[in-house]
Amino acid sequence: MNAAEDWARLEQRDGRATLCLEGSWRVTSLPALDAALDALKPSGRIDALDGAGLEALDTAGALAALRFIQSTGADPAAAARENFGAKHLRILEVVASRLDDVVAAKETRRPGLFATFGRHAADIAGLLVGHLNFLGLTAAGLGQVLLNPRRLRIKELAAQFEQVGINAIPVVALVTFLIGVVFAYLLGLQAEKYGASIFVVDGVALGMAREFSPIIVAVIVAGRSGAAFTAQLGTMRLTEETDAIRVLGLSPMDVLVIPRLLALMVALPLLVFVGNVMGNVGAMFMADTMLGITPTTYVERLQTALRARHFVVGIVKAPVFAFFISIIAIRMGMTVSRDTRSIGVNTTSTVVQSIVSVILLDAVFAVVLQKLGI
Amino acid sequence: MADLDTILEVDGIVTRFGEQAVHDGVSFSLKRGELVALIGGSGTGKSVLLREIVGLQRPTGGAIRLLGTDVWSASAEELAAVRRRFGMMFQDGALFSSLDVAHNVATPIIEQLDLPPDVLWPLVQLRIALAQLPPEAGAKMPSELSGGMRKRAAIARALALEPEIIFLDEPGSGLDPITARAFDKLMRFLVDDLGITVLVVTHDLDTLLTVTDRVIVLAKGKVLADGPVGEVMDITDPWVQQYFSIRTMVGGGANNSNGT
Repeated sequence: MNAAEDWARLEQRDGRATLCLEGSWRVTSLPALDAALDALKPSGRIDALDGAGLEALDTAGALAALRFIQSTGADPAAAARENFGAKHLRILEVVASRLDDVVAAKETRRPGLFATFGRHAADIAGLLVGHLNFLGLTAAGLGQVLLNPRRLRIKELAAQFEQVGINAIPVVALVTFLIGVVFAYLLGLQAEKYGASIFVVDGVALGMAREFSPIIVAVIVAGRSGAAFTAQLGTMRLTEETDAIRVLGLSPMDVLVIPRLLALMVALPLLVFVGNVMGNVGAMFMADTMLGITPTTYVERLQTALRARHFVVGIVKAPVFAFFISIIAIRMGMTVSRDTRSIGVNTTSTVVQSIVSVILLDAVFAVVLQKLGI
Repeated sequence: MADLDTILEVDGIVTRFGEQAVHDGVSFSLKRGELVALIGGSGTGKSVLLREIVGLQRPTGGAIRLLGTDVWSASAEELAAVRRRFGMMFQDGALFSSLDVAHNVATPIIEQLDLPPDVLWPLVQLRIALAQLPPEAGAKMPSELSGGMRKRAAIARALALEPEIIFLDEPGSGLDPITARAFDKLMRFLVDDLGITVLVVTHDLDTLLTVTDRVIVLAKGKVLADGPVGEVMDITDPWVQQYFSIRTMVGGGANNSNGT
């Protein structure tokens, strides 16, 4: 039982090699056709096709047959076609006339590791330069609003503030509460050993106020609002809404950028405050359970331990973080390109860039404040 | 024998969105080898009907029999089998934006068949050539293509598994008249040379008058007219008259030859 013969046979007729097609030469049979043709091993040129045993033929089957003939050195367009119905002849003609366009695909060579690394480095450099450019534009926009306060769009600002500030309170409160619980537990484990349990309050209060609350809240906001800005502005770009804003004589800077920037810069310090409070509440809960420090004791110790400057340091960091998160998020939204993948890529990039920037800025703050002795 | 000839049967389709009935008993059928246009005013549910036929949106009532299978009561395997036998071209192409054109066209083939690269890629190139795209188009990303080329790429993908029927949703929208006429010729080529049945939703009068075999008019939730364009144009319904009036004003009339 030669399976190959169910599909194709070679015959000699009038001194000419003929390929006889049998069965259903359709795209669904291609794997079998390919195997059958491979098994044939012709000794010379095949100059003719015979369709007497053909049940069905489509362009995929015709392509397989004609390319096979071509591989034996014959000209498929000139090959004789015997015993084909009118419809099949048409299909053969359609495919034969397009054989020149059908070339084997060029192998797309994947760039090497070094080249990829270089390309990414160049992309990042270009990105940072673009951000700097946009930072300048925004500073100019802010300046114009300060000089001419009527340009400030209160309605947009309020709407954004509600979205990035008010609506974020539940998430921020929950997360910082849990951080407070864990932090108090960690410190408590060590402090207990030295009988210094009360210093857990110091540790949590300072840690939350100076570092944890600003960073954690900034990361939450970057993921929540940063991603939202990028996705929103990116979609507006795709649907040409930003173009419409410009054409109407409005400035996208005034309408879209400034309200978001200012809203975030006002909201983030307030959220950091919420974080401070909830962090301590969480710590209070853990301290009571684990170390027997009653809430009254906790608050008493807090009043001594938490000096104003620690609180101020944390609150001052917040608008700085907010500024950079906004710039990155808004710019990534406005540089979305015209395909659906781009929004996802840019949104991811916004969150990554924002988180890295926040940590970098925090490190800078740490060094500066240490030198200043604050 | 007559049953084999009927490739699509739309039977009493009713579609309701809340209170509003977009379709209220739409029925027609398509035979193999026809090029049929579905027309109607904006909001008459042509695109919705197309989506119901291909299994994307469930109608409120009625039945659709495509290639012998009842689309809305078939099992998942039966529906998958039918999906391999028809192709759909969405209005703006709906190409996968993270793949280049060649990989877009190759996707249906790769999913269904296990072909070695030296068989797969020439086949993909053939589809690209059949859709009248230049060979270099295969390496381009969808975002790099013009509107007309995107639609051709979409047709190339719809042709991938050599379907028995292809549905096109307003292929001529947004195209300049020359490209739109080239598209008409492409549709006629699919029917005459490749033996594929075509159902096209369109607004384009030139398409209707030059390349279609039959026109189905959808109005007020029902099929208002169903026949060759010359017959449909003579119907005394005010909407139909107004729809074709531009053409008669310019003195065109019905031109039943298959384009130039």
